Amino acid sequence: MTCPFLDYRDSAGDRTFDTARAYCTAAERFVQPMRADVCNDRYDLDHASDCEIFLAHEDELDEAEIGSEVPTEGPDA
Amino acid sequence: MTYDDFLAGDPLIITAALTGGVHGKEANPNLPETPAEIGRAAAAAEDAGAAVVHLHARRPNGERSFATERFQEIDDAVRRHADDVIVQHSTGGTGAPAEKRHLPLRTDPAPEMASLDMGPLNRYDHLTSENTRGMVDALHAEMVERGIKPELEVFNDGHLNEVHGLLERRELADPVYATLIFGGGTLTPPRPRNLRNAVDNLPEGALFNTLGFGRHQLPFATMGILFGGHVRVGLEDNVYYRQGELAESNAQLVERVVRVAEELGREVASPSQARDILGL
Repeated sequence: MTCPFLDYRDSAGDRTFDTARAYCTAAERFVQPMRADVCNDRYDLDHASDCEIFLAHEDELDEAEIGSEVPTEGPDA
Repeated sequence: MTYDDFLAGDPLIITAALTGGVHGKEANPNLPETPAEIGRAAAAAEDAGAAVVHLHARRPNGERSFATERFQEIDDAVRRHADDVIVQHSTGGTGAPAEKRHLPLRTDPAPEMASLDMGPLNRYDHLTSENTRGMVDALHAEMVERGIKPELEVFNDGHLNEVHGLLERRELADPVYATLIFGGGTLTPPRPRNLRNAVDNLPEGALFNTLGFGRHQLPFATMGILFGGHVRVGLEDNVYYRQGELAESNAQLVERVVRVAEELGREVASPSQARDILGL
């Protein structure tokens, strides 16, 4: 399961990208690619235990804007 | 290596860390992520004076990839665009299983060099890149098998003990080449005396490379030049040119450290000279 706060966006605010990138709806910003592995629960990573942003916002989940469908593994996984 | 090495005028090897695996275009839109972008960045860095390019691989959306095929695409692009630059693959990978960490070593041809992290490194609040001795030994064994020169990454002073321990456990080809890394968190605090101390605690005959994160990149590169070491710069380690101003490119950061070296009278090594120095 991926983080419910994860979305993939190609723009937010004044930032635009050619390819949609990992965006944290809790932190309201694009996240670092390494952190995106945590958001996606890749390898042995788990957003519920490994992400301080998720842990700080977990109690807001009912109100959170849940992200769109998220690819959990890209072609290089 | 010492100030006497600086006075002796040994050529300076500049490594350009082009892309990394932690931050990406969200931090600086000029950071290369695709194989084509990395290939062009490698050529520009080489033209500017870099002898080595340190490479990570990414998925099309900038996220990390450890796949041999993705490293192969990048290497092919580097060799298509650059002339003779030395290719160094990262084997780092916070949170990635051990088997993934070996995949960057398996391109054809193998990279001439690869990084070998000497011990644990904390990331964010809940992650640690463990880099156990068992993992270090296994990666080193595959590097030996494939003729790859290890670049020993020393995140803090405890990792200097790990370098000595590695030399006791395994045979490393001369010269041992260690990157001394300075910054926040688990890294050695970026103070000049700590660089001097780290150099003094290296094994006899080891060469060192100097890496300062963020605002410390240029000061530590300059000190590395003066202490007879080598230097690493690039957008993986520092996305700014100066405070509040994003760097335009990796080449821009290489050009600046070349100017410093030239002002200090230190010749910059070509890839061919770097191969001789490193025993590749």
